[in-house]
Amino acid sequence: MGLLCSKNRHYAEADIEENAQAAEIERRIEQETKAEKHIQKLLLLGAGESGKSTIFKQIKLLFQTGFDEAELKSYVSVIDANIYQTIKILYDGSKEFAHNDVNSSKYVLSSENKVIGEKLSEIGSRLDYPRLNRELAEEIGELWKDSAIQETYARGIELQVPDCTHYFMENLQRLSDANYVPTKEDVLYARVRTTGVVEIQFSPVGENKKSGEVYRLFDVGGQRNERRKWIHLFEGVTAVIFCAAINEYDQTLFEDEQKNRMMETKELFDWVLKQPCFEKTSFMLFLNKFDIFEKKVLKVPLNVCEWFKDYQPVSAGKQEIEHAFEFIKKKFEELYFQSTAPDRVDRVFKVYRTTALDQKVVKKTFKLVDETLRRRNLLEAGLL
Amino acid sequence: MFQPSKRDGVVVAGFDGSGDGQVLDLDTAVKDGVLGGFGGGIIGADVGEKLDLKKMTEELDLPEIPSVFICPISLEPMQDPITLCTGQTYERSNILKWFNLGHYTCPTTMQELWDDSITPNRTLYHLIYTWFSQKYSLMKKKSEDVQGRVSELIQTLKKAKGQARIQALKELRQVVAVHATAMKTVVDEGGVSLISSLLGPFTSHAVGSEAIAILVNLELDSESKTYLMQPTRISLMVDMLNEGSVETKINCTRLIEKLMEEKEFRSESISSHRLLVGLMRLVKDKRHSNGILSGLSLLRSICLHKQVMSLTVSIGAVPQLVELLPALEPDCLELALFILDTLSSLPEGKAALKDCRNTIPNMVKLLMRVSENCTEYALSILWSVCKLAPEECSSVAVEAGLAAKLLLVIQSGCNPVLKQKSSELLKLCSLNYTDTIFISKCKLTRTIQ
Repeated sequence: MGLLCSKNRHYAEADIEENAQAAEIERRIEQETKAEKHIQKLLLLGAGESGKSTIFKQIKLLFQTGFDEAELKSYVSVIDANIYQTIKILYDGSKEFAHNDVNSSKYVLSSENKVIGEKLSEIGSRLDYPRLNRELAEEIGELWKDSAIQETYARGIELQVPDCTHYFMENLQRLSDANYVPTKEDVLYARVRTTGVVEIQFSPVGENKKSGEVYRLFDVGGQRNERRKWIHLFEGVTAVIFCAAINEYDQTLFEDEQKNRMMETKELFDWVLKQPCFEKTSFMLFLNKFDIFEKKVLKVPLNVCEWFKDYQPVSAGKQEIEHAFEFIKKKFEELYFQSTAPDRVDRVFKVYRTTALDQKVVKKTFKLVDETLRRRNLLEAGLL
Repeated sequence: MFQPSKRDGVVVAGFDGSGDGQVLDLDTAVKDGVLGGFGGGIIGADVGEKLDLKKMTEELDLPEIPSVFICPISLEPMQDPITLCTGQTYERSNILKWFNLGHYTCPTTMQELWDDSITPNRTLYHLIYTWFSQKYSLMKKKSEDVQGRVSELIQTLKKAKGQARIQALKELRQVVAVHATAMKTVVDEGGVSLISSLLGPFTSHAVGSEAIAILVNLELDSESKTYLMQPTRISLMVDMLNEGSVETKINCTRLIEKLMEEKEFRSESISSHRLLVGLMRLVKDKRHSNGILSGLSLLRSICLHKQVMSLTVSIGAVPQLVELLPALEPDCLELALFILDTLSSLPEGKAALKDCRNTIPNMVKLLMRVSENCTEYALSILWSVCKLAPEECSSVAVEAGLAAKLLLVIQSGCNPVLKQKSSELLKLCSLNYTDTIFISKCKLTRTIQ
């Protein structure tokens, strides 16, 4: 009898404990679901190299604690990789142009630089890169200064040379220092092809510190093979921040050298707009890389891109830049309204001009995005 | 006993301490509101300027003047009151006119005058003068206060940021709304360019909406308008037109319309999907009728630019406007019909009109219903649609009672061009019917009436 009793009691205790645990878990789930409802989901979408990750990093810097030293240091290998890969692309490119181009002599390096070039090309093809040191930095610097490489760089868009090239090449000495810790700016320029999904949660801190809004920002890979992962994120999104690099109208894709990047962005934007889950989602279009666009548009006419073939320049200088920008903006607006069914026409749709590398611009832009989303919430709650 | 002292030409008794409630002097009498005018205020210390009564009366333009100051003949405040033997007082020029017409009676009492002398009523004159002087001084002081406040606010705006800026703008807006003089001060102190400069690519909605609310009520010169017409600023206005409160939407609409009047205006600026979609949203908002009116007004101005007409049709404005028609007020109706008529000059506009089921019935209903202009536009639209697809449309039109209405137009006092068009349309519609059937369709039935 005693044994039975004690056994029963043992079971009963276990039961009670289990029930208590289950109840606790239930309560926690309920609490978190409630909290989740107030978290606004923001999704960064766009083609590869449109600047999504840079925006992501900027938000991190602005509204979170930024990057601590460990995180900063983790970018050293990324930057090294960027440098090796870039110089290899340029060197291999110069050989190709020297071989095929009519003006082949432009692309022929000096014999010393050829030696350096071969060495660096070999390093660049390895899986593991050596840490950048003084010696390598000097050699890379020499190669970079060679006129053949500069000529090749001028045709960089044909070779998929990344935008950060000039910045890193000009800073080689600093970057090769033994105790180098990357600066925030270095981190913003560092280029990693995002794969998978990255997220951060933040609360924008403004004048009124208790703004109460909590955002969760998701960054994704932009290349074609990454896009199939996007669809899992499409539920319950408050706003899509679509990044389009407007300087890319004369460039082709990394993953498909036949396809013009701007046309790719156009089709992608169209596809995103038509997604069923985005019926009530706000769309913030960031026309990014304005700084590069500014310099390019006066030299390369917009009509090289099929989408912009009806463009007519009106003037020169700053006015022309503005005019070209307005033209592109109108094209995107036109696309938006063509791709939006009548029942969705009341979605918030705003276009912003950004330069993701400029923290001030990103901060101001985000302030506006925040204001728009807050107003939208008030409107939907019937308070406006 | 009291000692009357002379101060600034008005007899003043020592009111500073006497306080026995007796009405001893002009100023006190007026001040305490004995005469039924507005009480209170500062005793006219500036009367010494010898202000012209006529000037003050005109400038003040007050709606409520004490009845005893008003001439019974002209119902205007008297400048030179004279009293007849009956004891009634009139404005000198008016009563003299009365006498010159051959009357020898007192206009109000109808009594025959036994004495043709006219006595200047000095007492009344003094009262009128003092009363107006007080009001005038008050107004001047208030005006200076207002001007001072406006200056202060503008100075604040030059430096303020964030919430302080929004507050300053809000207050400035209120001051400008209440005091007409404030508007001039804002313009004189460079307020226009200052406020315009606040509108940029990073302007928040809060700042932008207040700025626009002020600018829309001010006199803008050519330079200011050109500055505001730049794409970034127009873009900001379009944003606010899409997202703001009804008041903000109306302000943006009115401001854009103002800017369009400038001859430097490039139609490219308004050739924007976002603008047109936002406008249509405003126009369709049945809860706010003043929004509908200003929206249609801007849409009308926009449709005068050929390049934008096509865009307007492409966003589906035509069927939306047609559906709106039955619910519109007459002034909005005229605008809407004008817009549809203008759009019908484009092939795509005609097609859109034809494709919309309610075009013909709505147009037929509007003939001879509201105004001659409405009839003209409705007729023109019907003409476009019927010409496009005569068989299809004319039968629909006739079934909707078009024939009877056209007969009404022809028989009415409308202008001959209209009548001519009506008979042509009638002829066109009758082609598909035999004579007898058509005549039966021409009868005005109850429903059409």
